[in-house]
Amino acid sequence: MSTVIAEGVIHVTNDCKACDHCTSICPTGAISGMLGQKHHIDPRLCVNCGQCLINCPFGAISDASSVEMVRQALNDSTKIVVVQEAPAVRVALGEEFGLAPGTNVKNKMYAALRKLGFDRVYDTEFTADLTIMEEGTELIHRVFNALGVEGFESSGPLPQFTSCCPAWIKYAEDKYPHILPHISSAKSPQQMFGPVAKTYGAMKLNVDPEDMIVVSVMPCTAKKYECDRPEMIASGFKDVDYVITTRELAEMIKADGIDFLNLADEDADKFIGLSTGAATIFGATGGVMEAALRTAYEILSEEKLDKVEFEAVRGLAPVREATVEIPVKALGTKLPVHVCVVTGLKYVDSVIEDVLAGRSTYHFIEVMNCPGGCINGGGQPIRRDTY
Amino acid sequence: MSEIKGKVLKHDQQTRMMHWVHLICFIILGLTGIAFYWDINIISNIFGGPANASLVHRWTGVLFLTGPTIYILLNFERFSRFIDTISTFTKNDIAWLKTMGGYVPFIKVEHAPPQDKYNAGQKILGGLIIIGCLLIILTGFPMWLWRYTLPAAFLSMCYNIHFWTAIIMILLVGGHFFLAAIHPKSRVEFASMMMDGYVDAEITAHHNESWFNELQKVE
Repeated sequence: MSTVIAEGVIHVTNDCKACDHCTSICPTGAISGMLGQKHHIDPRLCVNCGQCLINCPFGAISDASSVEMVRQALNDSTKIVVVQEAPAVRVALGEEFGLAPGTNVKNKMYAALRKLGFDRVYDTEFTADLTIMEEGTELIHRVFNALGVEGFESSGPLPQFTSCCPAWIKYAEDKYPHILPHISSAKSPQQMFGPVAKTYGAMKLNVDPEDMIVVSVMPCTAKKYECDRPEMIASGFKDVDYVITTRELAEMIKADGIDFLNLADEDADKFIGLSTGAATIFGATGGVMEAALRTAYEILSEEKLDKVEFEAVRGLAPVREATVEIPVKALGTKLPVHVCVVTGLKYVDSVIEDVLAGRSTYHFIEVMNCPGGCINGGGQPIRRDTY
Repeated sequence: MSEIKGKVLKHDQQTRMMHWVHLICFIILGLTGIAFYWDINIISNIFGGPANASLVHRWTGVLFLTGPTIYILLNFERFSRFIDTISTFTKNDIAWLKTMGGYVPFIKVEHAPPQDKYNAGQKILGGLIIIGCLLIILTGFPMWLWRYTLPAAFLSMCYNIHFWTAIIMILLVGGHFFLAAIHPKSRVEFASMMMDGYVDAEITAHHNESWFNELQKVE
């Protein structure tokens, strides 16, 4: 296991049997090598999603690991180490300990993180709510701009794409730079957590942000790349220091001999521990869209939603579309919002090309790289028996 | 001096040709497979590198399948007799197996029980080779042709079956080669399969007594 992210996050190890299966999994064609020839990942094309890793028949693809650095920080008494966990982690971590997929072990996970030595255990859901408030508001502004409402002229064009999947962002930057104005300017929940922790959090905890280490537990290997992006220094420091995956957290728990299944339930630390159900569904395809629609609906209609679920955007089809009628109180009319959900970068090209050619009728498009969303991310437990 | 003179045709031309084709294919498949499974460049470079070794492996695999298939289609009756022979185990075969036909140094055998055209050991080998070939073929082609669509777990299983079957077959064929070409008691059969197809009648009468008696009855 590599400990330094030098040339991309994902790499093929010497155990490669050259079966060539991974080239069909990779959404960007970053993997080269013919049948019988050891394969290689081009870090320039790789979006670090780790789908090849979890689908390799021989476990011969590996991701760069920061576990040793996290261990060092935990053992350093001069540092305060805070941790955040994405919604998709809590329903997958249990698989590493023999529980059924989908078992919610968040309270045991909080307890395990404290046993590992983390000083504060927070939850990414709070900043998932921040992301969706930003993204939902930005969508409203873009709609108002498109409708010619005064005061919104500087808002971006429609449709708006979601921005929380780092694999999707790298793909757009690499292949479709002209689509970037359409992508929401909101940071992902992980990268919103970092500066909040190192500014507001550090102030509340009365610690020097320089002495604070922010660790993320993510279902996603691309998050390792995202936290290393040079612009992610809003706090004046590296916003998120290290990312570990669900698998790596399980390895740490096992290595420390923690009896995970028999841990007493604990709660997350509170000051940024509160969140909504909209944040929880971020981990599934269509979740961000549904959360944004809830926000947009309530802001535009100025009404409380009786039924918060927008089931039209749920499902597992790679491309799904729906139209949601949202009453806009300020305009005294109902606005049909056309939305699209894409899961799997292989399916996004035609959607982008329609947008760039001016043919798209959508207002809001959610794009997630991994099939089914973050829940099936490259950092999740590998369950070969479920293939 | 033996009273039995002359020669017996044991393997006809098409059988010998099929055996040659299968043997050459087997050697190429074994070498290339070992080369890229264990990443031994000194072997794969003979074939132009790992990717080309794989290409040679796959197309040799096609020949490995089509060679015997054509032979079976052209010689179905003969093949049926072969299957009938190798799948029939008599008391003499069991007795032969108990003493390993006298091929094992520490088991003394005065006179091995009379054997059919193939002795009990050859019958077992024949059966194992057929099963092995089927496993290799049934796993090899999916590994090649459906590598993008098969689930990872199934693909992994195919590789494991393909690899371990190949290892067992290499050991079996190694043993077969030793007995057929090197062992002093049986190497006289080497020329029969690899060259003219004939075996001395005297040797046949000794090694394949039951079959020899059958041949005499027919005559």
